[in-house]
Amino acid sequence: MFGRSRSWVGGGHGKSSRNIHSLDHLKYLYHVLTKNTTVTEQNRNLLVETIRSITEILIWGDQNDSSVFDFFLEKNMFVFFLNILRQKSGRYVCVQLLQTLNILFENISHETSLYYLLSNNYVNSIIVHKFDFSDEEIMAYYISFLKTLSLKLNNHTVHFFYNEHTNDFALYTEAIKFFNHPESMVRIAVRTITLNVYKVSLDNQAMLHYIRDKTAVPYFSNLVWFIGSHVIELDDCVQTDEEHRNRGKLSDLVAEHLDHLHYLNDILIINCEFLNDVLTDHLLNRLFLPLYVYSLENQDKGGERPKISLPVSLYLLSQVFLIIHHAPLVNSLAEVILNGDLSEMYAKTEQDVQRSSAKPSIRCFIKPTETLERSLEMNKHKGKRHVQKRPNYKNVGEEEDEEKGPAEDAQEDAEKAKGTEGGSKGIKTSGESEEIEMVIMERSKLSELAASASVQEQNTTDEEKSAAATCSESARWSRPFLDMVYHALDSPDDDYHALFVLCLLYAMSHNKGMDPEKLERIQLPVPNVAEKNTYNHPLAERLIRIMNNAAQPDGKIRLATLELSCLLLKQQVLTSAGCIMKDVHLACLEGAREESVHLVRHFYKGEDIFLDMFEDEYRSMTMKPMNVEYLMMDASILLPPTGTPLTGIDFVKRLPCGDVEKTRRAIRVFFMLRSLSLQLRGEPETQLPLTREEDLIKTDDVLDLNNSDLIACTVITKDGGMVQRFLAVDIYQMSLVEPDVSRLGWGVVKFAGLLQDMQVTGVEDDSRALNITIHKPASSPHSKPFPILQATFIFSDHIRCIIAKQRLAKGRIQARRMKMQRIAALLDLPIQPTTEVLGFGLGSSSSTQHLPFRFYDQGRRGSSDPTVQRSVFASVDKVPGFAVAQCINQHSSPSLSSQSPPSASGSPSGSGSTSHCDSGGTSSSSTPSTAQSPADAPTTPELPQPHLPDQLVIASETEADSRPSKNVARSTAVETASLSPSLVPAQQPTISLLCEDTADTLSVESLTLIPPVDPHSLRSLTGIPPLPTPAATCTDPLGEEAACAEPVGPAED
Amino acid sequence: MTYAYLFKYIIIGDTGVGKSCLLLQFTDKRFQPVHDLTIGVEFGARMVNIDGKQIKLQIWDTAGQESFRSITRSYYRGAAGALLVYDITRRETFNHLTSWLEDARQHSSSNMVIMLIGNKSDLESRRDVKREEGEAFAREHGLIFMETSAKTACNVEEAFINTAKEIYRKIQQGLFDVHNEANGIKIGPQQSISTSVGPSASQRNSRDIGSNSGCC
Repeated sequence: MFGRSRSWVGGGHGKSSRNIHSLDHLKYLYHVLTKNTTVTEQNRNLLVETIRSITEILIWGDQNDSSVFDFFLEKNMFVFFLNILRQKSGRYVCVQLLQTLNILFENISHETSLYYLLSNNYVNSIIVHKFDFSDEEIMAYYISFLKTLSLKLNNHTVHFFYNEHTNDFALYTEAIKFFNHPESMVRIAVRTITLNVYKVSLDNQAMLHYIRDKTAVPYFSNLVWFIGSHVIELDDCVQTDEEHRNRGKLSDLVAEHLDHLHYLNDILIINCEFLNDVLTDHLLNRLFLPLYVYSLENQDKGGERPKISLPVSLYLLSQVFLIIHHAPLVNSLAEVILNGDLSEMYAKTEQDVQRSSAKPSIRCFIKPTETLERSLEMNKHKGKRHVQKRPNYKNVGEEEDEEKGPAEDAQEDAEKAKGTEGGSKGIKTSGESEEIEMVIMERSKLSELAASASVQEQNTTDEEKSAAATCSESARWSRPFLDMVYHALDSPDDDYHALFVLCLLYAMSHNKGMDPEKLERIQLPVPNVAEKNTYNHPLAERLIRIMNNAAQPDGKIRLATLELSCLLLKQQVLTSAGCIMKDVHLACLEGAREESVHLVRHFYKGEDIFLDMFEDEYRSMTMKPMNVEYLMMDASILLPPTGTPLTGIDFVKRLPCGDVEKTRRAIRVFFMLRSLSLQLRGEPETQLPLTREEDLIKTDDVLDLNNSDLIACTVITKDGGMVQRFLAVDIYQMSLVEPDVSRLGWGVVKFAGLLQDMQVTGVEDDSRALNITIHKPASSPHSKPFPILQATFIFSDHIRCIIAKQRLAKGRIQARRMKMQRIAALLDLPIQPTTEVLGFGLGSSSSTQHLPFRFYDQGRRGSSDPTVQRSVFASVDKVPGFAVAQCINQHSSPSLSSQSPPSASGSPSGSGSTSHCDSGGTSSSSTPSTAQSPADAPTTPELPQPHLPDQLVIASETEADSRPSKNVARSTAVETASLSPSLVPAQQPTISLLCEDTADTLSVESLTLIPPVDPHSLRSLTGIPPLPTPAATCTDPLGEEAACAEPVGPAED
Repeated sequence: MTYAYLFKYIIIGDTGVGKSCLLLQFTDKRFQPVHDLTIGVEFGARMVNIDGKQIKLQIWDTAGQESFRSITRSYYRGAAGALLVYDITRRETFNHLTSWLEDARQHSSSNMVIMLIGNKSDLESRRDVKREEGEAFAREHGLIFMETSAKTACNVEEAFINTAKEIYRKIQQGLFDVHNEANGIKIGPQQSISTSVGPSASQRNSRDIGSNSGCC
């Protein structure tokens, strides 16, 4: 390889013996350059390779031998580069040259080497060289070159790029000309370059003045216009959307807007006060106020002012508050939003304009009068006061002189600014470029005042306060912003606007730059405020109403809206001392929670994989708590809410589609409201998750296995490993143990896995072996369920193999049943005593048929197979805990439903839809009463409420009463039916027990063969945290709901 | 030089894992890494051939720009493929993969192809992260995995080209909207630009492929 590289350059010259990394070789390359000053077809490749080799030697020299740099400088070798470039030698040479320069500048590590390269201003000549920017490849390499250089900027090197005497800063000004380039990577590079420049400018007053005075206004005004144009396009996209077809484009535009906000924020957090003032002024007065905020309140008003729709405006403002935390900006923005009379914004503006005598275009979204390129050009010419003097690397030594220069300059500027201050009113006649400059000074002064002087801010606050006072206390509620918020939250049809409003409130209250006082005026406390004793009652009531709506079967509240409501409510009423929520509101919230329990009850057992869904929802909810910033990055919420998953919209951001999603949604609503209710009452969660990591047997635990059933086996893992283990089955887990050498009868756990996620199959040609797989549930949507165990277990004989298989199959069923019963307890459904759960009774064996199997087809088959359905029925009857499933069955079998009281079977039956359950009837009838109450209580206060508690009581009574009688009535007839599948002889014990009907026969046998593992002997805990008595949990919420019904009205005034 | 598609890649990972060296090794083999001279670059382009189609790869390294949040998030979004690189001799670079991946998933289009690369496979004696660990991480997160060495050029070609193949496959499945350039994919200009091409890097590279394979 070494040889090839050499021959490539030296080929034909007979100098291949030379070491290519040496001064000599550089001299030789210099010779090549002098011989080939004109680029031709023939020598192109030679020249390119020569330049490349020079680069390599320079990088080598940087690390090994500085003499090569002396030679490079002495011979002015950069001139050759420039010379080649200027010959219009075509893309190939241009690209290669730019790339080698890139490599050169990127890999130089010594500052002095860098100074050498930057001296003589050749690099600036390359920067200003007019490349063919229509060529995407040249453009890409060129902008990368500028980016590379900008990464090399520091206090010293900056002098090679910025010349304060000539007002030349090619690196920066050439780069920002591409700020709106169609290629996104180019725009990103431009942003990088500007940020690098701003960062360095902090320590360089002269440069800072140059950037602010000569470039800031043209650049920022064009940038702001560019952002605004995209926003209008975005709004168009939302308005003209049909059937969500614009989603692709919309998400690009939203991402673009976010990119811009993040970029602006990155500039602001560099914390360069000079720049921030200009930028804040432009953002506020040219974009946020005239376009976003104006659109909040003036939707219906005509006029030619550019406008965007309300949801888009709310959405974008939320993004602004989520991303930008620059105090002067967010406070001014919030001030107008919260306290300004938005419709009269422009009248006010004119006063401001008069007072400040700034440009009349202030606070208006208009196109800059000239292009950025032209503005820069004019500013540059205007600034040329000195004879052109290019920066030189020798400047490094003259640093002290230079330090004086800018200081004087700055003073001069300041004086000039003072002069203009007085006369700026009559400036119309003066030159355009001059005007720009003065306006900057004027404006930056203004915003400085507004930003820094807290006294002034206090004054405005007082003004506002006194203004509010004249209109009496109630004036607070007439503020247009709050009206709009309440109106959006009141929408009964959907939560389209509500979600945005909640996001905006959340974003404003979580903004670090925000003055808490501003928010306190609308009683929206920032999180973690130590002392607060009131909260915004109308808002809280509306949030609770959203929760109540979400808990309805046909509620139109998306999960994201619900979660955000919970967050905001907690933020309002939770203090370090506890919850300050009024009893009446707390009672309403309990009502909503109770509704959510009813909602889940409809679906309990309604789906075969209920347990898996229940646990999966809990996992995904706790592992991925709501991130509002991420939520507001998703463009899909800008389109009206939809229900279909075909759009690819995330589940939490749309309505459910089909029974499975309705179940998932109901479960989530239940989790959220349960957690909220517990938190507000200051109680810890003791029931969820159903499996707590700390309760499980873990690898290396040492267990007392005396009196436990252990089956010896050989475990052959997938990768060929083979170990001797004892198999033990616990309530929730199976484990593989190894005898503990220190204690007889004890074992060390080598592996433990959840039975519920286990899959057991026989091995075709070996009756002593079982294939066992245990999957770990997927932790993220991108990952697949990961098998934590995939092995073949070989037992000493086929009897032990069958025993093991049964133990495992049984265990799996038992584990799942235990969990289902705990869910029943959570849903206030009565459950059977635990003793029966632990025994392998006949009833439980027949229940194998309907229990959910994650990895098996049977679960699906079950619903269509009449025998299976009947057996479901049977098992349900024997387990009184499964009340709702029973209720579903009632509807599908008319003969039985006649036994139940009318209130339970009132709904039309037979469709199979789970929403026909008795509790469904009650909850829907209770909807209006709870939902209405906070809204319009003063006018119709008590009409619907008295019915509410009665109805509920009736419902739950019928539920409870009807059950035992039905059980008695049906048990005999059904039992025979359920046994029929088990009569099929067990012919193929080697095939999975779980999939086959033979399971039943075998499980009956298993009862006699192996008694269940005594949980206490394995480890006393593992499992059964005490289940709450159903009676207590059942009656309690009812009482609270009754309490809630009455006093809602008074809370309104 | 005309092409059927242009794919934009980004390279991400902790500093010092050899991102820019990988990039240079792929785009310009004339810089031989044998001389104890570490050379890298932050941008490069190269033509590759996939299924008889000329495809141009444009690779952007994000090094040095991590301090600006706006920059990294924009880069992610504009790319069709990402090489997520760690250093097999430094475990901490492996441990940080999760947060890199989280960022990438958050900001990129869901179709972005991510290739996990354990670099510096030539330093077997100092290995700190087992190959199996890389494989397991990739499997768990749905990534393609490879160990490479920018120094010996081992697997470098394959890493970039396999990523391109995967993107190409997704295009053919209709997963990528090729008309939306924000995805990091661009359809080539219809007319062929008639610039005669010398022995460019790509042509010589294609010659080198044979000699590189089979070193790891």
